[in-house]
Amino acid sequence: MADATSLAAVQRWMQSLILHPTGEDPGHTITPSSRLSARERLFVHQQGYRLRLLECMRTLHPGSVHLLGQEIFDGFAQDHLDAHPSRSPTLAGLSTGFAGHLARTRPDSGPGAEREAWIDLLIDLIRFERAFTEVLDAPGTEDGTAPAPPLRLLRVCAPVHAYLAAVHRGEEPDPPAQRPVHLAVSRRHFTVVTRELSPGAYARLHVSSSHPPTSPAAPASED
Amino acid sequence: MSEARLGLPHLGLGVGLRTPHLPYIRRHRPDVGFFEIISENFLDTRGGRRHALAEIAERYPVVLHGVSLSIGSTDPLDFGYLRRLKRLADEVRAPWVSDHVCWTGVLGVHTHDLLPLPFTEETLDHVVRRVRVVQDVLERRLVLENPSSYVEFRASTLAEWEFLGRMAEEADCGLLLDVNNVHVSAFNHDFDPVRYLRELPHERVVQMHLAGHTHYGTHIVDTHDAPVSEPVWELYRLATELTGGVSTLLERDDKLPPFPELLAELDRARERAAAAPTGGSRG
Repeated sequence: MADATSLAAVQRWMQSLILHPTGEDPGHTITPSSRLSARERLFVHQQGYRLRLLECMRTLHPGSVHLLGQEIFDGFAQDHLDAHPSRSPTLAGLSTGFAGHLARTRPDSGPGAEREAWIDLLIDLIRFERAFTEVLDAPGTEDGTAPAPPLRLLRVCAPVHAYLAAVHRGEEPDPPAQRPVHLAVSRRHFTVVTRELSPGAYARLHVSSSHPPTSPAAPASED
Repeated sequence: MSEARLGLPHLGLGVGLRTPHLPYIRRHRPDVGFFEIISENFLDTRGGRRHALAEIAERYPVVLHGVSLSIGSTDPLDFGYLRRLKRLADEVRAPWVSDHVCWTGVLGVHTHDLLPLPFTEETLDHVVRRVRVVQDVLERRLVLENPSSYVEFRASTLAEWEFLGRMAEEADCGLLLDVNNVHVSAFNHDFDPVRYLRELPHERVVQMHLAGHTHYGTHIVDTHDAPVSEPVWELYRLATELTGGVSTLLERDDKLPPFPELLAELDRARERAAAAPTGGSRG
């Protein structure tokens, strides 16, 4: 560390070690206690940072946790957080860009690799969970904070909405079989309402809506 | 409700408002002096949670408690965040806004962790300057909490209580005395919690926090997932004696029990405060 007495330098150094732990001994800046070394004390923050944000990601994506199991979900979530540390004072948007990150870094994207359907399902489930959260928190007509109810339109590769609803009910659903699904996610009386649309109704709503539809799982997805 | 120090009202005994408890509170209107919200949980929502908050704020005093002000960060203050915070405080008519003596990130990153500061003259000047600006923007008193901490810096030249006292005096802000955090940090950093409490400027303490923690043998973590421990109750009794009794809030963030269990724990706080020589906290 160049200047151990500067507050700015201490903060840059410490944040770097929290976001990306290394083998560095922090003893030049942090004191030991009577029971823990400087390295062990810093580890409390390193671990706390990681666990807090993973817990938040799990809360935002309960369906994806159920689909993958917590350990595998945590791996994907941690990879997203490492690549995109939070830049917001709130946690609601922590998984914004999660589906897009996964689409860009999907495990089956290597040369010669065969595209795996479960990754398409995962990406679309994450997109739907983001839409659900955004609609839940968006301004709406209920208390006059918006002229129309919030609306998100999604084309997805499976009935991910039914899967998430089953998880919310505490059930143990099997992964949904894949088929093209067109969804409208909106809100009534502060409750998120999801409707499956016919392709024609989806197209008409798309045209009449000021919100552009989101596309199915693809590297070019805006999420 | 009555006038207390720094022109701020004494709100009695309160509970941290958590989403799973909203239905119970709206249905039963429990006997609670005030509620405290985590500001950032409401800044980005215009959904049912915000609507429920507005309804509760019609019936109870609500104060804001933030975790992202990052008052000690060397990044510039986020005025967009401050404006949203003020709007929320205005909406619920919060008598004060609180946060922590810490930093949460630099270079535009938010770690969402309450990171400790080196207690130096440089840090003190930096924090005092920023507190004054924040109070001007919020148009209300900022109340800053002693966070629990897990590391200390070689560069520190001031004791934590000395730093807090000078900060509060020089910035003319209030202090939120988290009694559990005093216990946690005293164990983690081998200092005497009683001396800590005695050395603070008691007339600056406008609120106290009570919470549970997890003891790992080598260190304690402020987990807010358990009832208040006996050593913390003892410190609370002393803190009540020293401050004369101020608005006191029970915090629980994890392993949330049914709301009536929190009310029972609030009764314990009432009894402990009443046992202090000053007569304790009202409410």
